[in-house]
Amino acid sequence: MATVPSTTVSLPLPSSRRGLGWRGDRIQRVLTQDRTLGYLFLFPAILVIVGLVAYPFASAIVMTFQAKTAGAPGRFIGLDNYRELFNSDQFLRTVVNTVVYTTAAVGAKFLLGLSMALVLNQERFCNNLFRSFLLIPWAIPTVMSALNWRWIFDDASGLINNVLVRLNLIDETISWLSNPNLAMLSVIVVVVWQGTPFFTMSFLAGLQAIPKELYEAAEIDGASVLQQFTHITLPRLHPIFVTATMLSAILTSAAIQFVLILTNGGPADRTMIFSVLSYHLALGGAQRLGMGAAVSLIFFPILVVFIVFLTRRMLREKGE
Amino acid sequence: MALRMTAQRRALQGLGNGVLVLMLLWTAIPFYWMIATSLKYDKEIYGYEATLIPQRPTLANYATVFRETPYLLYLRNSVAVAVGSTILSMIIAVLGAYAIARLNFPGRAFLARGLVFTYLVPTSLLFIPMFALMSALRLTDSLHGLIIAYLGFDVPFCTWLLMGYFKSVPVELEEAARVDGCNRVGALVRIVLPMSLPALVVVTFFSFTHAWNEFLYAYVFTSTTSARTVTTGLVNFMSQDVFFWGPLMASTVMSALPPVLMFLVFQRWVVKGLTLGGVKG
Repeated sequence: MATVPSTTVSLPLPSSRRGLGWRGDRIQRVLTQDRTLGYLFLFPAILVIVGLVAYPFASAIVMTFQAKTAGAPGRFIGLDNYRELFNSDQFLRTVVNTVVYTTAAVGAKFLLGLSMALVLNQERFCNNLFRSFLLIPWAIPTVMSALNWRWIFDDASGLINNVLVRLNLIDETISWLSNPNLAMLSVIVVVVWQGTPFFTMSFLAGLQAIPKELYEAAEIDGASVLQQFTHITLPRLHPIFVTATMLSAILTSAAIQFVLILTNGGPADRTMIFSVLSYHLALGGAQRLGMGAAVSLIFFPILVVFIVFLTRRMLREKGE
Repeated sequence: MALRMTAQRRALQGLGNGVLVLMLLWTAIPFYWMIATSLKYDKEIYGYEATLIPQRPTLANYATVFRETPYLLYLRNSVAVAVGSTILSMIIAVLGAYAIARLNFPGRAFLARGLVFTYLVPTSLLFIPMFALMSALRLTDSLHGLIIAYLGFDVPFCTWLLMGYFKSVPVELEEAARVDGCNRVGALVRIVLPMSLPALVVVTFFSFTHAWNEFLYAYVFTSTTSARTVTTGLVNFMSQDVFFWGPLMASTVMSALPPVLMFLVFQRWVVKGLTLGGVKG
């Protein structure tokens, strides 16, 4: 908003330009105007947004009212897709699963990330090295992490069963990913392992931005470490808490590869979340694109609240 | 009181060290298992003779990956897609961010908001219509298709990140250059870009690793070996009937290496860029 008006000042034309005819002069002037140049520069970006996000999104809405397969035009069926979904036990289970999975995973990442950030904020020998190391799970492609964990959880020879058997803690190996009571927990463990560093990084940056003088003053006033934490650290970190949690909630709920690779939604839909159900309906054999799109769109109103809120915040940071 | 404080501090430091050790183990053990498995013969991987530490370390699994799978092709495809989408999104984002940061025209604020908004819409909401679109344009099973599809994420993010940096370059410098006869493009290339080098590094890192790590679009748009990238290639290994964890872990180690190395090299800038706002995690 607060662009300095001076950027729109049209500079006095250097004398050399006088040689151009009035026509060239005008083109030159129009081209150097902010307005023309602005749209010209932004045109490719607008093309990308419209073509790759806005248009697909709009066509997804249309699809939800259609019976459609890939490559064939859809047939309008009104609200049938939605009606069918709301009458299906699988969909209702998916809603519950998505909420449980997102809340548990984001909550755990938050707490672990905060503890890691607090620990890394202490002074210590080789602290930078530890920090780099703790952040690596974030840099690894999520698919690689999911594959690796699938092998760690393996029934017969995975690391966990291997160690538990060696320690004589279990007689029979545990099916972490196919036991209906354990599958969701196992998936959450993987998501937390991969996603904690994002919180650590955000919180650590927040901690380092708190002026040391605040703590020194509090210490002189006799505030205990706990009091300093609740009265200085927590309030100062609050904005970052909100941003990081919302961003993570959007991305965790929508993440598809962990569940797809670890359990594929099973056993008996125990780990079915909306992105995976939508994939199965749209591309898993029956190719019901409309149904798949409807599943995602039912969740969109919840996401959009977060997205709008975050958009405001992220633009404010950039001084818009 | 001062004594109580130091006692408290010392206890906290001890607690911190303890927690740190647990966190390091929690982070390290999965890596260890991945690397250890990749260095074992099958005999040590499965069954009664399975080991926790490779007794006879071997690179046989790595050799198998190159000899018996199209891994090299996947690797080449990943590099092509990552480089292509990085260069394209960089050009588009630099121009767009400059316009939003420096030029004054109607609709500027609206476009800025639109960019951030689209960046936050997750791909799992878009992959179905995108699949229909790509099929209609005959861009499935093609590296070009993937490069184009990734712009939908890379461009909004890179534009948003660069916008902030461009704003921090003093306007006066640019105006001085323009008085000296530089036009807008000249000022952008000679003044703004050199001063935004850290941001350009971050943006390159993010679009490259995003393309390298992306799974959903690559999985949905590709059904043949020729256009598979590393991520979908490895998942395809897994879904074949025979599980061969040795070679699979070997290829996982190799595929995870490039982004991890890039991250370690550029870490300082990446963390800064990331904490300026938010990044898809």
